[in-house]
Amino acid sequence: MKSGSNLERILEGGQFAVTAEAGPPKGSSPKVIQRKGELLKLCCDALNVTDNQTAIVRMSSLSGCVLLKELGVEPVLQMVVRDRNRLALQGDILGAAALGIRNVLCLSGDHQRFGNHPAAKGVYDIDSIQFIQMVKTMRDEHRFLNGEEISGDVPFFIGAAANPFADPFEFRVTRLAKKVNAGADFIQTQGIFDVPKFVEWMKMVRDRGLHEKTHILAGLIPIKSVGMARYMRNNVSGLSVPQEIVDRMADAKDAKEEGVKICLETIEQLKEVEGIHGIHIMAVAWEDIVPRIVEEAGLMPRPVV
Amino acid sequence: MITLEQKKFEEIEKMTKGYSRLLVLGCETCSAMSFAGGQRQVEELASAIRMAQKTSGQEGEVLEDAIARQCEPEFVDLIRDKLAGCDAVLSLACGAGVQLLSERFPDKVILPGCNTTFLGVTEELGVWSERCAGCGNCILDKTAGLCPIARCSKQLLNGPCGGSMNGKCEISKDVDCVWQLIIDRLARLNRLEMLEEIFPVKDWSPAGHGGPRKMVREDLKS
Amino acid sequence: MSDTSPINPMAHPPCKLACPILTDVREYVQLIAERRFDEAFATIRRQNPLPRVCGRICTHPCETACKRGQIEEPIAIAALKRFASDGPWKNQYKPVLPDKPSGHKVAVIGSGPAGLAAAHDLALLGHHVTIFEALPVLGGMLRVGVPEYRLPKNVLDEEIQAIVDLGIEIKTGVRIGAQIKLSDLFEQGYKAVFVAIGAHKDRKLGIAGEDQFEGVISAVSFLRAVNQGQNPKETKKAAVIGGGNTAIDSARCLLRMGAESVHIVYRRSRDEMPAAQEEIEEAIHEGVQIAYLTSPLKILGEDGKVSALKCIKNELGEPDASGRRSPKPVPGTEFTLDVDMVIAAIGQAPDSSLVADELGLTERRERIIVEGPYTLVTTRPGVFAGGDAVTGPATVVEAISAGKRAALSIDHYLKGESIPAIEPAKDVEKVSLARSVVEKTRKFPRCKKISLPADQRLRGFKEVESVFSEDLATKEALRCLHCYLGARIDAEKCVSCLTCVRVCPLGIPTTSKMGEITIDPFACQACGVCALECPVRAIDISLDPRTEIAQDIKKAMSTSQHSGPVIVGFFDLHGNFDSSDVENLRQDYPHVLPVMVFGLRRIDTSDILKAFECGADGVLLARCPPESDPFPEATDRVKRRMAHARALVEALGLDGGRLEICDMPEQGLVQKELIDGLIQRIKEPGQVRSE
Ligand SMILES: Cc1cc2nc3c(=O)[nH]c(=O)nc-3n(C[C@H](O)[C@H](O)[C@H](O)COP(=O)(O)OP(=O)(O)OC[C@H]3O[C@@H](n4cnc5c(N)ncnc54)[C@H](O)[C@@H]3O)c2cc1C
Ligand code: SF4
Ligand code: SF4
Ligand code: SF4
Ligand code: SF4
Repeated sequence: MKSGSNLERILEGGQFAVTAEAGPPKGSSPKVIQRKGELLKLCCDALNVTDNQTAIVRMSSLSGCVLLKELGVEPVLQMVVRDRNRLALQGDILGAAALGIRNVLCLSGDHQRFGNHPAAKGVYDIDSIQFIQMVKTMRDEHRFLNGEEISGDVPFFIGAAANPFADPFEFRVTRLAKKVNAGADFIQTQGIFDVPKFVEWMKMVRDRGLHEKTHILAGLIPIKSVGMARYMRNNVSGLSVPQEIVDRMADAKDAKEEGVKICLETIEQLKEVEGIHGIHIMAVAWEDIVPRIVEEAGLMPRPVV
Repeated sequence: MITLEQKKFEEIEKMTKGYSRLLVLGCETCSAMSFAGGQRQVEELASAIRMAQKTSGQEGEVLEDAIARQCEPEFVDLIRDKLAGCDAVLSLACGAGVQLLSERFPDKVILPGCNTTFLGVTEELGVWSERCAGCGNCILDKTAGLCPIARCSKQLLNGPCGGSMNGKCEISKDVDCVWQLIIDRLARLNRLEMLEEIFPVKDWSPAGHGGPRKMVREDLKS
Repeated sequence: MSDTSPINPMAHPPCKLACPILTDVREYVQLIAERRFDEAFATIRRQNPLPRVCGRICTHPCETACKRGQIEEPIAIAALKRFASDGPWKNQYKPVLPDKPSGHKVAVIGSGPAGLAAAHDLALLGHHVTIFEALPVLGGMLRVGVPEYRLPKNVLDEEIQAIVDLGIEIKTGVRIGAQIKLSDLFEQGYKAVFVAIGAHKDRKLGIAGEDQFEGVISAVSFLRAVNQGQNPKETKKAAVIGGGNTAIDSARCLLRMGAESVHIVYRRSRDEMPAAQEEIEEAIHEGVQIAYLTSPLKILGEDGKVSALKCIKNELGEPDASGRRSPKPVPGTEFTLDVDMVIAAIGQAPDSSLVADELGLTERRERIIVEGPYTLVTTRPGVFAGGDAVTGPATVVEAISAGKRAALSIDHYLKGESIPAIEPAKDVEKVSLARSVVEKTRKFPRCKKISLPADQRLRGFKEVESVFSEDLATKEALRCLHCYLGARIDAEKCVSCLTCVRVCPLGIPTTSKMGEITIDPFACQACGVCALECPVRAIDISLDPRTEIAQDIKKAMSTSQHSGPVIVGFFDLHGNFDSSDVENLRQDYPHVLPVMVFGLRRIDTSDILKAFECGADGVLLARCPPESDPFPEATDRVKRRMAHARALVEALGLDGGRLEICDMPEQGLVQKELIDGLIQRIKEPGQVRSE
């Protein structure tokens, strides 16, 4: 075991994993994260705590992780290279290790231009792939980026993101390979609406044997309304929302129900795809729906390993 | 070239208020080529300042001059006499020029009339874009001759982030994703395999993060 | 006075170089374009004592050389000269005589254009001039050769009178060489003599019947008679032999005198015909028939009178020494024309026999020999010669040129100075414009002259061509491409920014690898874009230079009477307005101060600011209508520059409404409502602009 985390045990045990997102609040109250933890505790194997998501300042992801851990929920620590240089990143990794955090998701982060501090100076000292490699070296070789030795263990299950829908499409698999080579133990993908395109991508992934070197968790975003569908289609870079989905949402009597239906259908299709080892549900501001989705997808109860 | 843009007139007006003899000093190299501070812009700006002073009832004189480059002491020294009677200089050079003036004329107020924008190319007359970040450690051999330091919004070194769409960067539909361009060029050059290698972390110390930079050429210096 | 020093062909427009008296064509064309007609006339008149004559009958080599001719058609330079010289402003020109006469007496023999020009210039140099003229009238061939319908006698009279009024003594009816010898003149106290006796001796046809029948006459005699109001012979059917202007003039006169048919018989084809193309066209238009490739063989007669002309057809053989292909008769192609009159117009020669002895001419030579075409010195000290007498039949302007040069030579001679011998200017090679420039240049057809309808012409000798209207004249003058008035780079200032290379609508500036910029001064059309956009002001331009625009603004401001809000108005000269529009503007809006420019392309933001700085309350910019803009591709640039100017004006705390940018109306200078609106906004700031 690299980290001994619940997520690692489930995936290494060959079981279908379920993770979800629990965004921290724009405030100092622990309650928000605690409520999400309680809500999702039983239907997920681990919960991702986002790191100033979409470049909007929130409670730090490390603190969120600690709050979850106190509840007995396993956190995935998301970290972006936008806000911290190599010193801060390594320091936080050590701190997280000390606090018993075992999963980390290494990300580039959305550009600060879109957030609530667009005038901020972006750091981008290292990129996400170099970050993955750095954490792996810390874990496996007990060394900092500069080669100096680290005292103590840095046991992390290292995750990375993948976006099969961004351009250039052909490069997307190469980039995944790079992440895997850098040391990504698991992958959480961008939300999937365009299943055929995802399937095509997975085929390329399998052609390179990557599905055997890492655990791929397919991303899902439950949609609440046609407005949300349209917004994502038009404004979120790197998301591909087919017109068919938008139309279904528009025509539906009960949009929320339709959203759940779409999500469940997608999960059904994804389960069939070879190399998919789990799902990752990003129900931004609609966490309440996650237990129902996991239940109706037939993924309950969650295994205890 | 270094590109510059003239500051907004409102800002210039505010900073030049209250000086009785102001010299508007152009720089005839990069600043001129950026249409920010050559002879032509000096004329225009000096005229505008005079007008603004007149409207606000301020008595003052605005002189005009330009030198070849404000980043060279010999050129700068050529305006010493003219400057003697002035209480402030509005320099239309880049930051380097402004500072050399400050160093050469310790008793004068030196004001910046321009913002230094970037190192770039002229795409066409009136359109410039950034190409180089002056990082002090060129990597263009590994990136198909296109610079991700200067042109990727996140300075990524290992290929495009998940925001790259239709060749454009996630920050704006008007900005090319340089990684798309790099990949296109590598494909054309049949060098796509270069992308497989993980690009190591960059040493940012020559990029200015190692403190103010200075170059000394022993063979040249006096 | 004509400047005879050698001139650098790289700095002068082709029109000027082509003119024998180096008339500053470009200058006066530009002045006409600027509607400064009196100054245009002065420019012409300074150089040319017979502008109205030349405006009508000059062979205008300037037009042949004109650069615009490479685009579509040359500027109608001669017609513009006539316009400038016929207008009422011509009387404002007063030549200045020196305060003190030189005390020298000079005799001029012959009152043709050569003699008149010499007399004029000599008088201005302070010498006392006497013209000796064999005929009872003055003017030489202008009076007794060129017909009335091309050069009205009153025009000639007026021009000659103006010259005579300089204090020139006239002795008509005196044939020098006969009654008075050259040596007599020196004895009478003349210190120098200019022999300008023209070429009035007829050439014979040399065919059978020439001297046998009544009705054969030389063109010179015929025209002399016609010009003196006589009708030498009633004729119904006439043949004119020859292909020069004299032949054409004779033929056209015959038609006006009632001939039913007139044939011109010419040896070669139309391409070789020495007469001016337009003259040939006019003649055909009026009904003259031309038998090309035809030679006369014999004149036939009945009862002692001409009855027919026997001719033969020719074909063109190998080019001869002159490069012209010589005609060869084709056997068996003989034919006859029934005619009752034959006019021989095969050229004239100078009749130098009267002065031959004294000038040491061998008898065979008809032309008077001079040492060089610039000095005009003959073998006899103090005697100079020029015009047709020296060159053989040529043109008015060449005769004027000779007269002017003679005046200079004589002046030197009288002062005891050596006479500078200047190499005659080599024919300047015609520089071709690059195809791309020709293609990129906007085409504007030449303004057509207005002439009498053919049927009205033949009723008399009324002048055929009429003068350009003011509208047409300015329009035509605005076609000028301002050769050599364009952009010049100060290499010391240039920073190789390439802006000029990028903005030139014609693609004239080019760069070397090292950034050295070249602007072909011939190809440049002085549009002004590069001079304005150059960020370091390294480009200067001669047409409306930037310094001049600044001065114009100051000058305009200084003339203001401050009777209301003062507005500086920049007006594009390419608009369709005339001087009365400008006058009306001055009267209706005395506080609008016009600054006229060749295109608003030339007006920079700093010029607008300068106007405000000088105290203007408002600035008006009027663009010419797009149809007349020679550089429409620059319009968008102009608009954007004005937007920038407006933004800056507003940033200055001035009301943006004080700056009005408008298009000129289709006809006129500016719409009144626009000025009223601007004035209104100045008086009550804060109002929204209508645009
Ligand atoms: C029919 C015709 C049409 C023409 N049309 C044109 C035209 O359209 N454009 C153009 O440019 N040119 C034209 N020309 C040519 C032009 O008129 C002459 O080239 C020009 O007039 C020559 O000027 P000149 O002063 O040398 O001689 P002339 O004009 O010939 O004047 C010479 C004068 O000297 C006088 N004279 C001669 N001998 C004596 C003497 N011994 N003593 C005193 N006086 C003497 C003569 O009477 C005459 O008045 C034309 C010529 C002719 C014949
Ligand atoms: S979209 Fe392209 S240019 Fe923009 S941040 Fe991502 S990789 Fe860089
Ligand atoms: S275009 Fe104008 S300047 Fe040029 S040759 Fe013609 S008339 Fe003269
Ligand atoms: S625009 Fe001026 S500075 Fe630039 S290349 Fe031309 S002449 Fe030189
Ligand atoms: S003046 Fe006009 S035509 Fe001449 S080089 Fe400059 S831009 Fe070209």
